[in-house]
Amino acid sequence: MTQLPTPGATPAAPPPAEPLPTAAPVRPRWRETLGLLARNPTAAVSAVVLVLIVLVAVFDETLAPDGPNEQDPSLQLQPPSWAHPFGTDEFGRDVFSRVILGAATSLRVGFLSVAFALVVGTLIGLLAGFYGTWVDDVLMRLMDVLFAFPAVLLAIAIVAIRGAGPANAILAIGIVYVPIFARVTRASVLGVREEVYVRASRSVGASDWRLITRHVLPNAAPPIIVQTSVSLAFAVLAEAALSFLGLGPRRPDPSWGLMLADGRGFIEQAWWYAVFPGLAIVVTVLCFNLLGDGLRDVLDPRQRTLMAGSGR
Amino acid sequence: MTAPGEGAPDVLVSARGLEVHFPIRSGGALRRTTGALRAVDGVDLDVYRGETLGLVGESGCGKSTLGNALLRLVPPTGGTVTFDGLDVTGMGRRQLRELRRRAGMVFQDPFASLDPRRTVAQTVSEPLEVHGLHPGRQARVARVRELLELVGLDPAVAARYPHEFSGGQRQRVGIARALAGEPDFLVCDEAIASLDVSVQAQVLNLLRRLQRQLGLTLLFISHDLSAVRHVSDRIAVMYLGRVVEVGPAAAVAAAPQMPYTRALLSAVPLPHPELERSRQRIVLRGDVPSPSRVPSGCRFRTRCPDVFEPCPDVDPALQPVGSAPGHVAACHLHGVVGTPVDGSGSTPAASGPPGATASGVRGTG
Ligand SMILES: Nc1ncnc2c1ncn2[C@@H]1O[C@H](COP(=O)(O)OP(=O)(O)OP(=O)(O)O)[C@@H](O)[C@H]1O
Ligand code: SF4
Ligand SMILES: [Mg+2]
Repeated sequence: MTQLPTPGATPAAPPPAEPLPTAAPVRPRWRETLGLLARNPTAAVSAVVLVLIVLVAVFDETLAPDGPNEQDPSLQLQPPSWAHPFGTDEFGRDVFSRVILGAATSLRVGFLSVAFALVVGTLIGLLAGFYGTWVDDVLMRLMDVLFAFPAVLLAIAIVAIRGAGPANAILAIGIVYVPIFARVTRASVLGVREEVYVRASRSVGASDWRLITRHVLPNAAPPIIVQTSVSLAFAVLAEAALSFLGLGPRRPDPSWGLMLADGRGFIEQAWWYAVFPGLAIVVTVLCFNLLGDGLRDVLDPRQRTLMAGSGR
Repeated sequence: MTAPGEGAPDVLVSARGLEVHFPIRSGGALRRTTGALRAVDGVDLDVYRGETLGLVGESGCGKSTLGNALLRLVPPTGGTVTFDGLDVTGMGRRQLRELRRRAGMVFQDPFASLDPRRTVAQTVSEPLEVHGLHPGRQARVARVRELLELVGLDPAVAARYPHEFSGGQRQRVGIARALAGEPDFLVCDEAIASLDVSVQAQVLNLLRRLQRQLGLTLLFISHDLSAVRHVSDRIAVMYLGRVVEVGPAAAVAAAPQMPYTRALLSAVPLPHPELERSRQRIVLRGDVPSPSRVPSGCRFRTRCPDVFEPCPDVDPALQPVGSAPGHVAACHLHGVVGTPVDGSGSTPAASGPPGATASGVRGTG
């Protein structure tokens, strides 16, 4: 067995003739990513708005002037005013408060359904892409079948079978997005799997598990992150659609989709009733989409090289 | 193929009849196998403990595949590989992991062989973690420092990412990783080919120093015979998936015994201008045949300037040639030895080629 000498015993290793990197600050990759993102104004603004929306959803009870179902029959369908900035609905409830309280519902359904799709879909895509052969065939055929159903129809079918309610809406939207995450992940993994550094790690004895978790997944992640952001947009929209169809959260819980559905009937007398929850949906969906686009630009390796001058 | 002569040499890695055939599949959904790409096709090769064996041949002749197959990084489809007496092809998980510790690889492209998302320290300490060497964070950090110093890098670079380094520095990181498990055997697959010319010599010198210092056995793969002959103890020449000539570096370079080796050498410019002027270039006819359609008999016959009757009919085996001990070549010019194409037995009656050995074989000398 060869025994490497200790540094002291090393017969004076020749000094490196090439200049070593100068003392540039060592920055972790995620900070670099954040820095690049900050230089993309659209994405940066979207991120800030989304953070605000999330904060609103988290502190909804503190922020909302009224409770969700506080009614004042004397104030039915009042136009926006200082007391009720978004007006009131047909029961005299404060639309502003209900939009704030509905944020939690919409975001919870959006985040949880996308989290479900992300975990399950990414796992399937990882296994299919990394192992290939019959594992790939079986898993991806399954995904094709799932993907062949129109998304809304599939969600409706799931809710029809399992009953309406937020939990089933989450499951329905989540299942719809599983094949998308599986495909995106698999495509990305197929490229990374062939990288020399993966073979190099294998050559020093790394196990499949180690290759997947330490090398393949981190390097395959960018498209998955972008997909997550874009899917969040669609999930919020899907939650609204399901609620609108009466398949998601149920009255009188505050939900943007439900408010949109109920406000629609009063659109001529009280435009604010439907417009403000609608705006909330549009802004959230738009921000997730724009953030996704920004992330795509930043995380795309070639783009990254262009912008930061760093290889790969 | 065994090296004759004084005392059996100490063999560390050995291949016998080694084959790596990649299936060629039809494009359709059924993916039927329609043929085989014979990347490595019956290789017999011994690597002696402590030596540097140069493996040369044109691009696509199967050098990388052979190097990978010796370490079971691609699965052989036939033949055997032994490492220090152990059967590599039949190894289980644990044995394979130990093989991966004892045998490392340095890759051609240092821009592709380091994970861009891992620091130098993470890359170099991966073998330590995998094999449970130098347990504990502190011990590993110390060991990584030691390894970086060993390859001539400042240990302070441990926290940096690969994109901050030049090609030569990255290759040093790659070498440090390959050495982390204290291997006996290192496959250097075109390890300096993609570096700047000025850096090539430095990395080459590093590898030679490490070999002496650590008693490594090196398989040095290159498409460039001139790059290999000064660093190698022995040279193996590969053509279309087969090792066709092996011998001491000086003998192979000075007195090549196989027409293909002579052609390879004749393409090498000589240092002295006068020698260079008198150098005879043997220009090979035609292109290298596809490894999916290997010619019958001698696989070099479609381009060989010396081709004669038995060449299409008998697949030549390696046989002792020249005057240097351990010099072998697969060519009928030295006597027709090998497997007849029609599949009957082996070693047909030797029929001396028409006035070959004396005049024809001494080449550029
Ligand atoms: N994984 C693979 N699947 C199919 N064919 C392969 C694979 N790897 C290599 N080959 C083929 O096998 C043959 C030998 O390739 P290999 O990379 O071993 O050659 P090489 O001598 O190392 O060439 P180079 O000097 O270009 O590196 C080539 O025809 C190549 O296309
Ligand atoms: S066996 Fe025949 S074809 Fe092959 S190298 Fe020798 S002379 Fe040429
Ligand atoms: Mg190669």
